[in-house]
Amino acid sequence: MKRMEEQTYYEILEVSPDAGLKEIQRAYDHARETFHADSLAIYSLFSEEEMRKIQAAIEEAYRVLMDEALRRSYDQSHSHLIERSSREKQVEKPVKSSEIRSDLSFTDLSLETGEITYRGRSLKQLREKLGIDLKAVSAETKINMKTLELIEEEDLDHLPAMVYLKGFLKAYARALNLDPQKLIEGYFQLFQEKGKK
Amino acid sequence: MTRDQHQRVIWTIGGGKGGSGKSFITTNIGICLSKLGSRVILIDADLGGANLHTFLGLLPPVTSLSDFIKKRVPHLKDALIHTGVPNLQLLTGAQDLLNAADAKSALKRKLLRSIKSLESDYILVDLGGGNALSVLDFFLMSDGGILVVTPEPTSIENTYRFLKSAFYRRLRQAVSSYSAKSLIDEAMDQKNEAGIRSPYELLREVRRINEEDALKIVEEAATFHPNLILNQVRSKKDIEIGFSIRSACQKYFGIQLHYLGYIVYDQDVGNSIRKRRPLVLENYRSKAAQCVTEIASRLANSHRMNPGI
Ligand SMILES: Nc1ncnc2c1ncn2[C@@H]1O[C@H](COP(=O)(O)OP(=O)(O)OP(=O)(O)O)[C@@H](O)[C@H]1O
Ligand SMILES: [Mg+2]
Repeated sequence: MKRMEEQTYYEILEVSPDAGLKEIQRAYDHARETFHADSLAIYSLFSEEEMRKIQAAIEEAYRVLMDEALRRSYDQSHSHLIERSSREKQVEKPVKSSEIRSDLSFTDLSLETGEITYRGRSLKQLREKLGIDLKAVSAETKINMKTLELIEEEDLDHLPAMVYLKGFLKAYARALNLDPQKLIEGYFQLFQEKGKK
Repeated sequence: MTRDQHQRVIWTIGGGKGGSGKSFITTNIGICLSKLGSRVILIDADLGGANLHTFLGLLPPVTSLSDFIKKRVPHLKDALIHTGVPNLQLLTGAQDLLNAADAKSALKRKLLRSIKSLESDYILVDLGGGNALSVLDFFLMSDGGILVVTPEPTSIENTYRFLKSAFYRRLRQAVSSYSAKSLIDEAMDQKNEAGIRSPYELLREVRRINEEDALKIVEEAATFHPNLILNQVRSKKDIEIGFSIRSACQKYFGIQLHYLGYIVYDQDVGNSIRKRRPLVLENYRSKAAQCVTEIASRLANSHRMNPGI
């Protein structure tokens, strides 16, 4: 039972101290959706001020943990706390992103938009942050490099229509371990904004 | 625990709001567990509207817990009703037990002991919707308390209110000093003078007056693991609310909630209730029945992996 101020960045995002970047990204997306003013799950629990504090802590934790150098120096300066929390976590069973994934795999349900969507540019940024080469994505998804580049550049003029594009977007999102629907949704908005197709 | 000593697991189903699906879930999980070969007893302890018999397609039972209380039957097991489902029995009238007004606490304890000694593998107790003190006590003394929530603000608000009452009651039982107990009583009132609005603020205030009790609070928070079922889910986004509730509980209460699973909103639920045939028997292929089955097998496994929880 630790107050926000006493929690490590790992505890704030509910990830283990050895979490990889993909896992941190997922945990961050989850935390942002959870601690959002319109989020149903926090209804009646927090004051506005408490919410601001939580949101700020989540952003800060994400900023540091996604940056290799910052994370390393944070780990060093907090080593005593982090070790302890990892031992506690073993007993308490931490939130595992794999657990979230398997539980969410109910495919027959109609989908609704999440708070966060991805588009080409944010996808590219994320991919670079994760240190994944576009060639690797191409090899995994069997989508040619040119198309992947067009997707990242959001070059709607040269991309196929949404009906054909969907399959590519899905495959790309899966390669980065993201919710495909969030990318499709983001691209859908993009097409709508540009008034196309 | 020795081998021949019987290991029964008591799950209580409560919290949330009227109509969230507690009775539907209690009945159908019970049937699933009995189909897995376990002996199961359902206990209807809803103060307001006991109706598990209707979910099972039975007439209002003629024997009940009060037959045992009034000594018309010698043993509690004589008050059990056969449901027609193999391995599944029903005990009704447990509201008398929870009704704080006429049940003395010595009697209540005796009854709880009798319930705990019933021959069964699982005992599932439908607590109904209230949060009377005796309901909270029952929730806390069971091996696992299950909250049934629907993805609506009203249901979520009631659930947090229930959870807070249960949590504070648990803390109150754990601390030893009178001053800490009265601080907890005060904290129950949201507009208290001490300005305590969250469990963390309560902990801070208790730490000021009694370090030992503060440690007990931390210990209690670390070992309090209520369970959550999200019912009447209509979208993928709804499913995620369960994970968000878990995160919110971690941030607000400092407790680890288990998300047992979700059950989709399904017309077949209402249809089966109108027919007075339990869904998992009437239509086990329906989506809601599949969800219930999955949760039941998770419960069975959690107990096998972690007996006595
Ligand atoms: N998954 C579901 N899909 C569709 N309808 C449902 C579902 N779960 C419950 N219902 C509907 O909600 C109604 C209330 O369910 P139930 O009686 O189990 O709630 P409860 O929590 O026991 O209520 P109370 O607190 O009044 O005892 C049922 O009649 C049923 O039609
Ligand atoms: Mg009911």
